[in-house]
Amino acid sequence: MSTQVLDSLSEDTVRRIAEERDEPDWLLETRLDALEALDELDLPDVIQTPGRRWTNLEALDFESLVDPLDQADVTERDGEDDVVVLPFTEAFAEYGDVIEANFGSVLDPQENYLTALSVALFTTGTFVYVPAGVDAEDVTIRAEMNSRSLFSQTLVVTEESSSVTILEGIESGTDAAADASPADADRYFSNLVEVVAGENAYVQYGSLQNLAADTYTYTLKRGATDTYSTINWIEGNLGSALTRSDVETELDGDDSETQIVGAFFGHGDQHLDLNARVWHNAENTTADLVTRGVLDEEARSVYEGVQDVGREAWNTSSYQRENTLMLSDDAEADASPKLIIHNHDTEASHSATVGQVDAEELFYMESRSIDEETARNMLVEGFFVPVFEEIRVDEFRDDLEDLVQARLR
Amino acid sequence: MSSEDLQDTDTEARFEFKKEQKSAFQAEKGLTEETIRLISEDKDEPEWMLQRRLRALEQFHEMPMPTDWPGQPDLSEVDVDEIIPYIRPDVDVRAGVDDWTELPDDIKDTFDKLGIPEAEKNALSGVGAQYESEVVYQNMRDRWEEKGVIFCNMDKAVQEHEELVREHFMTKCVPPSDNKFAALHGAIWSGGSFVYVPEDTTVDMPVQAYFRMNSEGMGQFEHTLIIAEESSEVHYIEGCSAPKYSAFNLHSGGVEVFVGEDAHVQYSTVQNWSKNTYNLNTKRAIVEENGRMEWISGSMGSKATMLYPSTILKGRGASDNHITIAFAGEGQDIDTGAKVYHNAPNTKSTIESKSISKDGGRTNYRGLVHIADGAEGSSTAVECDALMFDNESTSDTMPYMEINESTVDVAHEATVGKIGDEDIFYLQSRGLDDDDAKQMIVSGFIEPITEELPIEYAVELNRLVELEMEGSLG
Repeated sequence: MSTQVLDSLSEDTVRRIAEERDEPDWLLETRLDALEALDELDLPDVIQTPGRRWTNLEALDFESLVDPLDQADVTERDGEDDVVVLPFTEAFAEYGDVIEANFGSVLDPQENYLTALSVALFTTGTFVYVPAGVDAEDVTIRAEMNSRSLFSQTLVVTEESSSVTILEGIESGTDAAADASPADADRYFSNLVEVVAGENAYVQYGSLQNLAADTYTYTLKRGATDTYSTINWIEGNLGSALTRSDVETELDGDDSETQIVGAFFGHGDQHLDLNARVWHNAENTTADLVTRGVLDEEARSVYEGVQDVGREAWNTSSYQRENTLMLSDDAEADASPKLIIHNHDTEASHSATVGQVDAEELFYMESRSIDEETARNMLVEGFFVPVFEEIRVDEFRDDLEDLVQARLR
Repeated sequence: MSSEDLQDTDTEARFEFKKEQKSAFQAEKGLTEETIRLISEDKDEPEWMLQRRLRALEQFHEMPMPTDWPGQPDLSEVDVDEIIPYIRPDVDVRAGVDDWTELPDDIKDTFDKLGIPEAEKNALSGVGAQYESEVVYQNMRDRWEEKGVIFCNMDKAVQEHEELVREHFMTKCVPPSDNKFAALHGAIWSGGSFVYVPEDTTVDMPVQAYFRMNSEGMGQFEHTLIIAEESSEVHYIEGCSAPKYSAFNLHSGGVEVFVGEDAHVQYSTVQNWSKNTYNLNTKRAIVEENGRMEWISGSMGSKATMLYPSTILKGRGASDNHITIAFAGEGQDIDTGAKVYHNAPNTKSTIESKSISKDGGRTNYRGLVHIADGAEGSSTAVECDALMFDNESTSDTMPYMEINESTVDVAHEATVGKIGDEDIFYLQSRGLDDDDAKQMIVSGFIEPITEELPIEYAVELNRLVELEMEGSLG
């Protein structure tokens, strides 16, 4: 891996980032350890079948993508009064102990080369803290990326019997603001999200990625549940040139549950490598994975869904559905929904389909004098409905619907 | 052989007995160029076959062991240097024996116990029987021979049907470069069947080959080559078994099937290797326009199996059906599935896979469906169901789907479940005891598979499942 490490990626760089942000020593140590580990770490696993690797992460040209000392973003964070929503830099003074206790507890910074790179270099990020018993309906994190590369880190900690709904959006800044980056260079966005759910807590984390077409994106979101807690993820991916997105839940608490809802819409020559994974590590846990995607032009999707039921995971329920709609002959959809089952007291199923717009439905609509393009667009929107229905936050659903409609126009 | 005859047979005794080892020629352990030359010389092979063997040996040494597949069986115990690659039993294999009574008593006795001669009389068009590395018995009904159907052992085919073999043997279907064990097979293959069905010929009774591995620490590497010309039809059945010894055995067979235009080939097998056998096979079919390939397989025995029969749908309108059942008990790792390449328009495939795991056994469905760009109008449906008995066992499903074409219909479904308490309660309330109830549920679970098998095999499969279940339920 060492060949990919940049000259500017040095201990000095990492120390400068930490100093500018006046970070506690433990975090600097964590960053330096991650930096040092880069030499030995591999890129995230990608699926391989005879004769092919489904996603070519090796092609990421870090030399032209990453400029760690020139990171710029505009991020708006909103939340009600009784919930903490702060950039890390502002959170250390009051919540340093909570951050230290939870940072890296769910997501190992040295999990792979890209996570370590992200932890070593992140300059932006958000700490969300929901005290016991608080119901926070409306936390929003809207980020704009304004530099060649941007590394972001998000930590969500919820205490007992609290609930929170977080909506995160990431897009590229307007051209004027993005001038810092050379016009023809590719860009790199990395975001690591960790969710620590307390006993009987409810976390809903929605994320909408609509980055510019010259951006390479790596995101890893992972949550761990306690007893009776719920973590629900909603993941919308529309932008970026290459997207690698992993959304994962460790069901560590008895009677806990998770839902992972995904929607994607690829066009141009976009490559979307989208993964939803769940580990049932406790008793009476439930998981529901639902992903729907549309591919147009030369876009390609790679999907892996994993339902892993551990030896002690008695009375597990686990379901997965993945459906892809192909609008073009040049598109490609690869999928691997995996079941790994170690306990027989399990009810598990998965299904995956790939198909095109139904010719009969199209004919029916055309016979009702709807022109072909309108009819096709209506059918595509209709295809997303089962996913929209799972999104209980109106604002998020509206945003996603708007983006889908914009792409269809 | 009627189903009653089979039910009266003690299936355990049929498979687990072993014979004292007697052989006319036995190669040294391990794999060297010298061994390959000796085997080839012993078989009096043409030079081109020796050269193919030597090239495959080189490829075998160049290729790494497969170790990095997600969740694959542990092959660390497989040491080719510890394997006896070739044992010629004490039979004049070159002349060929077509009468069971001409076989040495111990070998005849083995096949009698397995019920092969009985089955031949009643239900089959022809039988080949392999003992260790060589086919010791081969017979084909006259009426098929008259029509030009060939069913003989592979070694004989190399001598007598050289052109056909030279063209098809490990060239375009399973080249030795496919994987390490295909290369191994290409180097030391011995025995197996050659089936040739001329144009417009329907062989309406199945032909069967039976492979018996008797010696300790040996490897069996039979090659099966089936060529079905345009508009022909044939059903080939393969059975195999080996008694259990303390040393491990290696079975690495190769199967190549050529399905011509409008032809139909069915390949059925119930594998019941002993639980110290590594079963690492490569089986593949190439199907021309409107041809149809069917794979029906039961994987019961072996310590570890890695087997993914694959079909290349090469011609427009070609189709493929896979029906598989895997049963893994204590200490077994059965990693099996199906591969289908849709390389032409309007091709169809269906895969139906059932697995049962208990007492710490592991079953894995590993499948690949590839729909190439240009294979418009193709469809595939994959269905996997797993039944589990306990939390010591593991059942995985790892399908891979690569779809390069938009006008297709692709569906994959998988379910995992335990035996329903309600179902058992219902059966118990009708007077069945717990064991019988579970057994009945398992039989019902695999019925969609057994009903596709010829009756003898369905009965055998059910008996094997019963054996696996006996005494281990509580």
